[in-house]
Amino acid sequence: MAQLPDAAPTNRSLARRMTALMALGFIALLLVGYAAVRVMQRNELHTGLVEHTYQVERAVLNVRRLVEESEAARRGTMLIPGRDVTRANFFRARAQVPVALARIDALTRDNPAQRRYLQGLRLQLGSLLARQDRTLALLGQGDQRGAIVAYGDDAEVRDVVTIRNVLDRMALVERRLMTHRDAELRASQRAFYTLIVLGGVVLAVVAVISTLTILSYTRDLARSDEALRQLNAGLEDMVSARTEDLTRANEEIQRFAYIVSHDLRSPLVNVMGFTAELETAAASLRALVARVDAEAPAVASEEARLAATEDLPEAIGFIRTSTQKMDRLINAILQLSRQGRRALTPEKIDVAALIGQIGGTLSHRLAETETELTVDGVLPGVVSDRLALDQIFSNLMENAVKYLRPGVPGRITVTGRRGRDRVFYTIRDNGRGIDPRDHQRVFDLFRRSGAQDRPGEGIGLATVRALVFRLGGSIDVASELGQGAAFTVSLPLVLAKQELNQ
Amino acid sequence: MNAPQSVNIVMIEDDEGHARLIEKNIRRAGIMNPIRHFTDGTTALDYIFNDTTGPQLNGPALVLLDLNLPDMSGTDILAKIKTSDGPVKRTPVVVLTTTDDSREIQRCYDLGANVYITKPVNYESFAQAIRQLGLFLSVIQVPDLGDARG
Repeated sequence: MAQLPDAAPTNRSLARRMTALMALGFIALLLVGYAAVRVMQRNELHTGLVEHTYQVERAVLNVRRLVEESEAARRGTMLIPGRDVTRANFFRARAQVPVALARIDALTRDNPAQRRYLQGLRLQLGSLLARQDRTLALLGQGDQRGAIVAYGDDAEVRDVVTIRNVLDRMALVERRLMTHRDAELRASQRAFYTLIVLGGVVLAVVAVISTLTILSYTRDLARSDEALRQLNAGLEDMVSARTEDLTRANEEIQRFAYIVSHDLRSPLVNVMGFTAELETAAASLRALVARVDAEAPAVASEEARLAATEDLPEAIGFIRTSTQKMDRLINAILQLSRQGRRALTPEKIDVAALIGQIGGTLSHRLAETETELTVDGVLPGVVSDRLALDQIFSNLMENAVKYLRPGVPGRITVTGRRGRDRVFYTIRDNGRGIDPRDHQRVFDLFRRSGAQDRPGEGIGLATVRALVFRLGGSIDVASELGQGAAFTVSLPLVLAKQELNQ
Repeated sequence: MNAPQSVNIVMIEDDEGHARLIEKNIRRAGIMNPIRHFTDGTTALDYIFNDTTGPQLNGPALVLLDLNLPDMSGTDILAKIKTSDGPVKRTPVVVLTTTDDSREIQRCYDLGANVYITKPVNYESFAQAIRQLGLFLSVIQVPDLGDARG
């Protein structure tokens, strides 16, 4: 027999393994997701910073432009002092310079290097603006010459150049800052890609391991399924083998009964035959004794006379009745054995009609005993063997008529009901009843119960039970002495068609 | 049985009592032909086929056959008689047995039995049946085996 694989521990370890793998996969996914969010945040930050750098640059350039513009306007005013447009340009540029500075100040509040440059820028600008003011004051006094000379001196001081340098440096600082930030961003992106690849690898590994695990588990499952199937098939084989054994044993018993009853008949024929011969011989002996008595009474002894007239006939009589009884018993066994060998043919049977029919054949005896046969309610139909059913009901109803209480009008009631897949028929009488001690015994062959004042060999109920069993049913009796008896036959609603019974 | 040559009755019956009763009742029916009784199949077959007074070598016969024999089945004897080459195969065989199984009866007729009779257990019926068989035997014609041989 195939061994069933130990499935339970495999299941538990599989569950543990799959849970661990799934947890690992989720962790990998979470890490990748977290990294992605981080990188997005950094990108956003970086974009902001780049924008900031550009703003600073723009602000620096703006200051530079305003300084250059103001210087150009100063020079223009010096060359053509009366030109109002140039003067206006100069003042506009001068007015915007603090605004532009404030912008840089606002933008570079967090950068100490820029703040230092800005400090220097402010000083230089302050000095430049002071010189510009002086130039304009001289021009206002009409001293064009003095203004130009002063301008020349100013050139020596080189405020503008310094301012330009400072501004260039500030732009450079921002540039460097941006380069540095770019590098940082790239590094974080690289880290992100690495993490994604890592997470992907982890997920792939998890997927491969889970797939392999599931595959192996499926294989195990298929194996155990196969084992189970084989086991099942083995079981079916076993059951059918047992059934075959039982059928064979049953057939053996049937054959045995048949052979025994036949072989018992042979010697019985002899016993009966030679008893008959003896009877004939005894008759001639009796005739001889009669003649001797008539002609020479002294010849015959009293013993011879008794033997011929009494002993012989008596012995022969006993032999006869015994052999006749034995003949009936053998016939009963033979009949039972024949019924066991007969193939059953299931057909739809109207049980009410069948009971009516049997009642018809019993009508003479029913009338004789003033017995009333009634069918109570509707009798359910059944699919079974007609002959067997006829014998069952005939025997039960004959018994009911046979064992009535003397002087009490008989009442036989047949009732029936239908279960889920069985039918039940009860035949109830008001006769002498059966002692509960004998309830099993009455179904045995050659066994009877109660006063032995009715003819019979104790065959009827044995036949009934054998037939009921053959039809796949059962029979029960409920009875008390003097209270009547109720025999209930339970049969399958549909008798399964049998393979030809040998 | 008015054949010029006397017809032997070969009775194969293992029960001595039955044999005696059968013989008595046949005689009572007025049949006086010689009866050879065998209680087993082997010696009976030996007589039928090899004995100088047996049917194969010495003229017509009639076989009364019981099916339940100690050493072989009566149907085997029946088959041997009916499938033999010699004149014996035309010998009438009356199967006289206790078995009343319909398949067995059918099988015997299939094998070529001429008559199948079930022994009634009741003696009166038994005696009557045998006497009637005797009457039957007195009128049936048995083939002249001598002619068949020639």
